Amino acid sequence: MNMACNIKTFLPDHPYLKVCPPTKKNNGIVSVVCGLMTQKTATTDSSTGSWSTTASSLIMRKPLTKSLVETDHQDLKKVVINPGRFGKFGGKFVPETLIACLNQLEVEFNFVLQDRVFQEELSTALRDYVGRETPLYFAKRLTDYYKNDDGEGPEIYLKREDLNHVGAHKINNAIAQAMIAKRMGRKRVVAATGAGQHGVATAAACAKLSLECTVYMGTIDMEKQSSNVILMKLLGAQVKPVEGSFKDASSEAIRSWVGDLESSYYLLGTVVGPHPCPSMVREFQSVIGKETRRQAMEKWGGKPDVLVACVGSGSNALGLFHEFMEEDHEEVRLIGVEAAGFGLDSGRHAATLARGEVGVYHGAMSYLLQDEEGQILGTHSIGVGLEYPGVGPEISFLKETGRAEFYTVTDQEAIDAYHRLCRLEGIIPALEASHALAFLDKLCPTLPNGAKVVVNCSGRGDKDAATVFSNTNKI
Amino acid sequence: MAAVAAATTTTTAGTTTTSSCRVAKSYSSVAAFSLSQLSFKFNKFTSRPNNSVRCTLTRNPVSVTEMDAKIESDPDLWQRPDTLGRFGKFGGKYVPETLMYALSELESAFYKLADDQEFQEELSGILKDYVGRESPLYFAERLTEHYKGPNGEGPLIYLKREDLNHTGAHKINNAVAQALLAKRLGKQRIIAETGAGQHGVATATVCARFGLQCIIYMGAQDMERQALNVFRMRLLGAEVRAVHSGTATLKDATSEAIRDWVTNVETTHYILGSVAGPHPYPMMVRDFHAVIGKETRKQALEKWGGKPDVLVACVGGGSNAMGLFHEFVNDKEVRLIGVEAAGHGLDSGKHAATLTKGEVGVLHGAMSYLLQDEDGQIVEPHSISAGLDYPGVGPEHSFLKDEGRAEYYNVTDDEALEAFKRLSRLEGIIPALETSHALAYLEKLCPTLPNGTRVVLNCSGRGDKDVHTAIKYLQV
Repeated sequence: MNMACNIKTFLPDHPYLKVCPPTKKNNGIVSVVCGLMTQKTATTDSSTGSWSTTASSLIMRKPLTKSLVETDHQDLKKVVINPGRFGKFGGKFVPETLIACLNQLEVEFNFVLQDRVFQEELSTALRDYVGRETPLYFAKRLTDYYKNDDGEGPEIYLKREDLNHVGAHKINNAIAQAMIAKRMGRKRVVAATGAGQHGVATAAACAKLSLECTVYMGTIDMEKQSSNVILMKLLGAQVKPVEGSFKDASSEAIRSWVGDLESSYYLLGTVVGPHPCPSMVREFQSVIGKETRRQAMEKWGGKPDVLVACVGSGSNALGLFHEFMEEDHEEVRLIGVEAAGFGLDSGRHAATLARGEVGVYHGAMSYLLQDEEGQILGTHSIGVGLEYPGVGPEISFLKETGRAEFYTVTDQEAIDAYHRLCRLEGIIPALEASHALAFLDKLCPTLPNGAKVVVNCSGRGDKDAATVFSNTNKI
Repeated sequence: MAAVAAATTTTTAGTTTTSSCRVAKSYSSVAAFSLSQLSFKFNKFTSRPNNSVRCTLTRNPVSVTEMDAKIESDPDLWQRPDTLGRFGKFGGKYVPETLMYALSELESAFYKLADDQEFQEELSGILKDYVGRESPLYFAERLTEHYKGPNGEGPLIYLKREDLNHTGAHKINNAVAQALLAKRLGKQRIIAETGAGQHGVATATVCARFGLQCIIYMGAQDMERQALNVFRMRLLGAEVRAVHSGTATLKDATSEAIRDWVTNVETTHYILGSVAGPHPYPMMVRDFHAVIGKETRKQALEKWGGKPDVLVACVGGGSNAMGLFHEFVNDKEVRLIGVEAAGHGLDSGKHAATLTKGEVGVLHGAMSYLLQDEDGQIVEPHSISAGLDYPGVGPEHSFLKDEGRAEYYNVTDDEALEAFKRLSRLEGIIPALETSHALAYLEKLCPTLPNGTRVVLNCSGRGDKDVHTAIKYLQV
């Protein structure tokens, strides 16, 4: 089966899963796998020829005995994992009733990845409706701010996901999945939202595709992000309040979906959940990284040196990182920034990778914030979108293998970064994205002169003006 | 209302324009004003004790030059504006002497920079990477379906997505270009006026980007209604000054800004938000927004190999409309439609339909249609959308209307709110209430159009700023 996709085809009967070859279409993002025990993977006959012989992304296989497993620690790129797993993370920890549904979703997903009609329709929607491609903007005043006394410092570029329709990266995924739901003949879309951005994106996509839309949102969040609630209602979505916060809203949404599997579609907003959801969402967000690669080549004839993104569950980070995961750590550094809230020791934060432990949550194995009894801990961050107590399994995998580095930033540091970008560049960033921007304070002094840093400006911050207003006494 | 006493036109060499009166009065001395110096007939004239002059003129001035007559008869000769900054009889430079130099300096800088490769490249780069251009020309499938007749026929509706720009409206196109121009002129201080706050936010944004000092004048009443926009401007580093005079709204803020400019003309550039004001502003602002129409032409060619048949845009001061129309003014087969705000209805007296109900006069430095009472006092306009809430209109629109090149209609608050809801539900795009006026006019327009007509509507801004207003009125 020759598919142009960059996740693995799932053939339940086949002992070894074939992987899609790269084609002209996916610009050589995908790697090729040939059989077992590969020291090197075969290159493709793609015209790009830019694929090194050792390049291979994650190979999916059934579990084999240790002797057959090639885990070359030098070459982090070859890992043997189970279907839907990234190392030991991921998987499908769901009740039986959902397995068939998830399988169907996966088949559908694999099909659309290589279906030209779908891909063209999606490209048109991304271009004309969402407003892609988003610019890679050289932030001159921010760059000057971080120059040291000798006038040296890194060059800072912002990937402007804030310019997307509805103001965040969430729509890349929402529009693609809404199109899949339509293809599958579903009439109703169900979603859960924390900050509201995913809810708004889903509501917009559903309006455009004339699908019914129900969004579940925690009552605590509804208060904090009331403007987003109004937007969802204006877009024709039904907003159902759920006592609590995002985790309670997701559970309720899943319950609602399971009760109506035939005609409803659960639109997951981020790279969590049971397989194939993390891969699907990441695939649709990976357009961010693909564009960045091309734009970097146009602008300075090379690749970025460092990529920085905020991490709640990890969708915008993976969207930017995924394209560059194949590169060496020395070539392209991947840096994720989590929310330290009031501080890591305060107990009021959302730094899953810094303080969490491995467990199963919402159908996947990953890091999560839990107490000794395995109960999910409440989280806090001023960036509501970062408040998820878990994190995507692929992100956990990146941490485990050391391919990406993860740090944290407090509420106050994020607010300061918010103000800074407003004053220096006239861009009001989302408080979530402000966490990534705040980390530049610690990062820039350590970088060599002229290092190219790309920060994912994952959303605009108009929604946060009221919060910043109440948190700032003086301007 | 600040005094914008007439100055005018010194005749330039080579033209036979007699026009004007030399009513060159500094605007503090009303007493020395002499009617006999004027060649116009005054219909109404009022002088007020607080040193302000307001006058209105008849629609048919006594002197019409030969040149004007020739130009009017041959549309292709329409130079818009002419060397005096006039569009036919509209436009001009009705400002105090102190501003004349600044305006000429601005005009020559503008012409020079139009040819300056480096400037143009820098501006394109910023429009692309900072503002996010080019904005898409989006085929609104469900909206098109909605307007199909019972036989399945109807026009094809495309939206020019200016709502996707940085800061969420078309305003930034002009703000960015003028800030760049100010920098070239060596001005470190920027002032602007704002009503709803959108132009204020756009100006504050570009000033932050370019490191310029920014002062925004806003009516005290508007500041209360738009507290969040005030905060946004302050976040971006601008100083927002409250204006308490008059009715404490947009027109008073504009006057205050003009006053500031007169005082600080050497160090300060005034970023006017629309195609109104004295020459060269209407021309400059239009040319900076003309990128909208230029992109549309290219995108129309790509998408269907032709031109649009109808262009529709909302009209407050008129900048987004001119931005879309300008490229196509000389393409006679393209219909140009502007939609104004009828507020509570044209007969209610609470509206902002300047071109329908206004009369010719001078406001904020230019001759144009404006809403005035019998005494020549400016009538307070009303529209649910603050951006259309301006009692005047750009002089070029007045000209296009009189020439019959463009058609102007209007739409009430309720119709606009309906359209606001309709686009949100059908396309998942929440339009600004200003834009909603243009969208509302589709209700009357589409049934009259032949099957397959291509309509391009300027979606001039996004509606996040209007949700609270909308919620009050709509049952959501």
